[in-house]
Parts: sequence; C-alpha cells; structure tokens
Amino acid sequence: MSSHAATATQPNLDRVQQVGLGAFGAGLALCLFGLMSNPDQVMRSYLTGFLLTVGLPLGSLVLLMVHHLVGGQWGMVMRRILEASTRTLPLVAVMFIPVLLSLPVLYKWARPEVVATDKILQAKALYLNVPFFIGRTVFYFVVWGLFVYALNRLTTKQDAGDTDAKRRLNNISGPGIVVFALTVTFAVIDWAMSLDPHWFSTIFGVIFMVGQALSTLSLVVICLAILMEHAPMKGLVRPNHFHDIGNLMLAFTMLWAYTSFSQFLIIWSGNLPEEIPWFIHRLHGGWGVIAGMLIVFHWALPFILLLMRFNKRKAGMLSKIAILILVIRLIDLTWIVQPNFNPDHFSLHWLDLAAPMALIGLWLAFFARQLKARPLEPTEIDRLAASAGHH
Amino acid sequence: MDKELVQKPIAVGIAQDPVIGPGHDYTTVTDKISELVLTTKIHKEWVIGFLFSASLASLLGVAMYFLLFKGIGVWAPNVPVGWGFDIINFVWWIGIGHAGTLISAILLLLKQEWRTSINRFAEAMTLFAVACAGMYPLMHTGRPWLAYWMLPYPNTMGMWPQPRSPLLWDVFAVSTYATVSALFWFVGLIPDLATLRDKAKHTVSRYIFGALSMGWRGSADHWQRYEMAYLLLAGLSTPLVVSVHTIVSFDFAIGIIPGWHTTIFPPYFVAGAIFAGFAMVLTLAIPMRAFYKLEDFITMHHIENMCKVMLATGIIVVYGYFLEVFFGWYSANEYEKAVIMNRFTGPYAWSYWALIFCNGLAPQILWWKKYRRNLLLVWIISNIVSVGMWLERWVIIVVSLHRDFIPASWGYYTPTIFDEAFFAGTIGLFLTLMFLFVRLLPSIAMFEMKLLVPAAKARPESEGGH
Repeated sequence: MSSHAATATQPNLDRVQQVGLGAFGAGLALCLFGLMSNPDQVMRSYLTGFLLTVGLPLGSLVLLMVHHLVGGQWGMVMRRILEASTRTLPLVAVMFIPVLLSLPVLYKWARPEVVATDKILQAKALYLNVPFFIGRTVFYFVVWGLFVYALNRLTTKQDAGDTDAKRRLNNISGPGIVVFALTVTFAVIDWAMSLDPHWFSTIFGVIFMVGQALSTLSLVVICLAILMEHAPMKGLVRPNHFHDIGNLMLAFTMLWAYTSFSQFLIIWSGNLPEEIPWFIHRLHGGWGVIAGMLIVFHWALPFILLLMRFNKRKAGMLSKIAILILVIRLIDLTWIVQPNFNPDHFSLHWLDLAAPMALIGLWLAFFARQLKARPLEPTEIDRLAASAGHH
Repeated sequence: MDKELVQKPIAVGIAQDPVIGPGHDYTTVTDKISELVLTTKIHKEWVIGFLFSASLASLLGVAMYFLLFKGIGVWAPNVPVGWGFDIINFVWWIGIGHAGTLISAILLLLKQEWRTSINRFAEAMTLFAVACAGMYPLMHTGRPWLAYWMLPYPNTMGMWPQPRSPLLWDVFAVSTYATVSALFWFVGLIPDLATLRDKAKHTVSRYIFGALSMGWRGSADHWQRYEMAYLLLAGLSTPLVVSVHTIVSFDFAIGIIPGWHTTIFPPYFVAGAIFAGFAMVLTLAIPMRAFYKLEDFITMHHIENMCKVMLATGIIVVYGYFLEVFFGWYSANEYEKAVIMNRFTGPYAWSYWALIFCNGLAPQILWWKKYRRNLLLVWIISNIVSVGMWLERWVIIVVSLHRDFIPASWGYYTPTIFDEAFFAGTIGLFLTLMFLFVRLLPSIAMFEMKLLVPAAKARPESEGGH
C-alpha cells in the first residue's frame, strides 16, 4: 500500500512531456500560420487530429472497464496507464470547442443554404441540426466524464485499502461498457459520418471503436517500453505482458480488417446510389493509393509481424509495431475525413500533419503529467490477482 | 452447493465457485465420467427421451419423402417470400453450432480453464447442429443426389457455380467448418477413447474403442504431438467460426433488399450465433447435469459464466436491432423506413415485439448474480433466447420479403405442414444424436478434467505461455 514509493522519479516522463509540448508548440505555430492563408483547411485537418486524439482516452476507458470486468494479467501493468489516459478527457473535451465554433465549415448540414435545397438533409434536420449536435456532444462528454471520475476515484479508494472497491469497479464496468458503446457509436455518427450527411453505414461505430482500442493498445506498449527502464515498473513488466498485449493488438488488427472489409464488400456489392459514392471518392486517384496503403500497413504488415511470437515478446520490436499502427491510424482517419472536402481529386495539405501533431503533442504532455500525478506501480489487488492467477 | 468448502488461497477477487467440485482426484474423475458410458445399465428416463426424439426424427424422414417425391412445392416459399423456413432454420441451426467452437477453440486460446468440462459436449452439439443445418440447403435443391453440382469442378455441362454469390461461399464455409469441427472433436476424444478401451470389460466395446483410439498409448511423444495438433486445430477453428456466420450474414447483406442490406450484419450475426449457441448449451447442460449428477464437473461457475457470455452477446444483438431502427430513420430512404415501420406495425408485428421481448428484455435478468444461480430460471431464459433467435431470422427473412417494392406483389407467408414437420424432424434428429452421444462417448473430457484436480495443480509452474 505504499503510494509514496510511486513518486519515484521518472525522468523519461519529463522528456515525454517536453517532447509533447515541443510538438504542440510547433504544430500550433504552423496552424496559426495556416489560419492566415487557409482557415478552412486548418479546421479540416484539426478534425482528423481530434478524432485520433479522442480515441486514446475513449479506448483507455473501455479497455479499463473490460479489465475490471474480466480480469487478466495484462490489466496489472496497463491499469495505471489507462487510468492516466482517461483523466485527459477534460482536455479532449476542451479540444472539441474549435470544432463546435466552425460547424458550418466542416458540416454541410450546418449550412442553412445547403439544407434549403436538399430534401434528404431536410428529412434529417430533426437529428442533424446545430443545437442538438452541440447538446449531444456535451452529453457524451458528461457521460464519459462520470465514468472516468467514478473509476479513478474507486482506484484511489482501493489504494487507500478499501476492499469493497473491486466489487464496485466490477459493478460499474458492465453497464459502463454498454453505455460506452452506444455513446461512442453516436459520437462518431455525429463527428465523422455526418461529414457526408447523405451516407450511412451501420457498422461505422464499431469500426471506430476497434480503431480506438488499437491506438490505445499501441500507446500502452510504447508507455510500458519507456516506463520499464525505471522503478517502480523496472523488473515488473515481463515479456509475457508484452506478449499478451501483442496478442490483443493482433486481435484488434484483425477485427479492424474484418469490420472495414465487411463494410466495403456489402456497400460495393449493393452498389446503391446513396451508399456507393463514399467509396467511389475514396477508391480513386490518390485516395485509392491511400486505401491500398491501408490494406498493407493497417492490416497485412502488422498482422504478419504480430503473428510471430518473438516480435511480441520484445519491448523494442513491439513498440516499433505500435508506432507503425499509430501512424497508420492517423492515415486511416485522414482517409475517412479528408475526401469529404475533396471528393473528386486527391489533396493532402501540410496542415493534415501539423494540426494532428499539435493536438497529439498537447495530449501527450497532459497525459505524462497525469501519469506522474498518481502511483505507477500496480495496485496491490491486481498484483495479488496476477500472482494467484499465474499458471 | 458446497460453497463453504471452496478454498481460496488469497481473497483477491470476488468469490467464485471452483471449476471442479472438491475431493476429486485422478481416479474419481475417470470413474465418474467413464461410468456413464461403460455401465450396462440403461436408465428408463434415457430410453423414454431417446424414443421420443427418435420418433420426432422419423418425422424428418416422412417430410423428406414428401419433399422428394412431390417436389419442393410442398414447402411454402413463393413470390414474394422466396425464402422461408428452409433458410430460417438453416441459419438457426448453424448459429447454435457456434457456441461449441467458441467454447472449445477460442476459450482454449484465451486460457479460460472453465471451458474444460463443457467443451466436449458443446463440440458434439456443434456437429449435430451443423448436420441439421446442412439438411436445409441440401433438401432445398430438391435433388440432393446432385448436390455436388454446387462445387466448382470441370464438367461436360460447361456449368460453373456463380462465384459472386454468397450462397456459394456458404458451401465452402459450412463444409470446411463441419470438417474442422469434426476433426477437432475427434482429436479431442482420442485420449479418452484410449481410457475407455483400457477400462472396458466387454470384448466388443474394447475392440471398438481400441480401433477409435488409433493406437494411443499415452507416451510423452504422443502427448507432445497431441497438444500441438490440438492447439493448431483451435487456431484454425477460430477464424472459421467467425467466417461461417459472417458469410451467412452476407447471404442477406450482399443483396439490396431493405432490411437485409446493412453493414452491421456480419458482427451482429456472429454475436447472435454465439448467443443462441450458449442458450442451447445451457438448455442441454442443465438437465444433463442434474440427471447424471455431474454437479461437481459442471459447477455453478460454468453456469454463471455461460450466462454472462449469453448476456454480453445478447446485448450486442440488441445493439444491432437498435442501430437498424435508428438508421432506418437516419437513411431518409422511404424503403428503409417502410421496412422498420412494417416490423413495428405490419401484419407480422407480433413477431417483432416477441423478438424484442425474447432477446432484448428477458436476458437482462442475468445481470443479477442471484438469478444467474437459479437453474430453473436460467433454463427458462435459455429457451426464451432460442425462440428469440429463431424469431430474429423470421423477422429478417419473412418480414423483409413479404412486402415487395410494388404493393401489388405483397403477400403473406405461412409455413405448410411439411415445413413444420421438417423443422420438428431436425429437432428430433438433433436430440436423438445428443442422446446417443451422452450414452456412447464420454461427454466430459476426462483427461482435461484431470488437469484441474488439486494434484495436477501442485505440479511445478512452467514459465511462459503459448
């Protein structure tokens, strides 16, 4: 129960914080520069960055709840990292404000002159309108925030020796996952799917949730590789842990391919005028090249690498795969978001890199601060559970 | 039961029942399980159950006779409902099979030791359910002796199956799945068959079990290869189980019928299959456990975990229903909207609301531990879920089809007596095979159960996973 030992210095975290702030500073400067020349593009690229960033605390929240529900050794070393990541949610909520301030720039349904001439948008206006959109987003963040607060608070209690906390964490997590799945589904309908307000796909929310879990697992691997060099994680994180997380990454890589391919195959073979344009825009010209890249780098390469046992047991190798996955996640989100604005021709802007860099940089700095704020060593109870369950 | 005897080395988790009852060692496990097979005693209840199932199964023969001699016109499907009981029941049976593979393969890879006492039994259920499922497409051809035409092979007719059709993918997916499931089940049986060979007193049964056990001597070499083969088969089965129901969902989603053409179908069908499968495992395991006094092997821990899996997959299915309704509206497409409204208020509205009750509301009671431990209630809920999953396919297939795009071609589908007899017959076939299985083969994996007894646990720890 020694939460004091946790304040052991973590020089690496200071470095992460500095790098994050540096990236944020550089990205911000570029974005400000971009605002003068092409303000619309700043917001478009900003949205991609936001969708990547928001996936980290959300993916952490759901993995944390899954851990509380089903246990498993992987949770022991991941829990503190996931908790710190969920505590960045207020920052991510603030990050959404610029999007709210520029809805007409991003979303066609927020432009009255477009809606006036579009029968389909008029039919959807009950759902796709500015006040309701803002209200929903606020609602999502409040709901997620309540779960983040409750889970973190119970961990603090558990550290202080509350033996009942485990049961309560378990009780919250079951309904929590259900609420999470529904709210995230609607959040991505709002934030990402409604960029093309005519288009719809029922599996879209699942694809995003899988992507979020994948980015989160990659983040955790990189964090563990950094943290394992110093106390209290030194000697605690073993190849087995990386192996387990690597297996989870493999599973989510396959799930991503499975859900994405299902969406493609069903829409492609149906070839209906209300559905197929989304893929036509994304499979031709330069966007088609990106789509091919996604098949290779989001599925084939990580799949093959993660299939091999020795790649999963070494921190260095697994973190390289994790970085690959995080980069390809950004490309995937860019491929989903940007063709909405340039459906007929391929167009990548330097801001597509600068804006996500600013957001991820700020997030990293904040995340490192959260990691330092609380104990890093696993809770007593997780440690015992891991040693009891070891066989 | 024996809650006070549960030994917990460290009070870390929430108290759970053990995966095997107390006081068992290697001998008692073997004796208890092999006794069910090797005894010459035949229980009266078994005979009654078997005769009942076998007579139901003979109904299948009658139904097939009429089907083959009169033609598939004796079944109800017709324009606009071109698919009826045949595909509903095909999907229903194949879905039930999925739990077996999930328990034996996926839970093995996830190192969930509670799978051990139910895997053999669930795998057998998978095989029998797939056999029942296979009856439908086979008989729907009307000329099952020409079923090999479905396979792509060079022939003088110059005829090839349509590779763009998901129905052809079904042929491959289901036959592969059936083959691998059968192999997995049989490989898993070999060490136990050898045990039965050694324990059998009758010469005939010694010969039969001896032949089936394929010369198993239990040497270290045998075990080492066996473990590797079993793990590889588990790895092979895992993508297969997902692919089968994914392709079944493509049978619908690839088309453009409103109510069928929706991208959530693949994961939602897979979840539904597991949901239905666990319901069937519970439906069969609860009475079997009571009848053969297997409470020490199929403990409350198993029952509770199966309830949890059922609850979780049930919620995924409900998530699918919810998205269908939301996107029916959000699509702003009049046909999509019409399908949803037709489900809510059309002539088959009863089936939609019954489905919501069976799959959406009833299983929610399993959130509470108290009810998960109430065997009668769990058994009732499992049956409700089986009905609900049948209704789901009914709603998807019949309710989406019966109102065509043109109101002039609207219709109302009612199954004929031959449809019903065929369905009842497959239930009979399934139960007959289950009755034979529990009597003729060890329905719980003895050698795997032995790994769970305290003596096995005391072995030195081995480092590293697979």
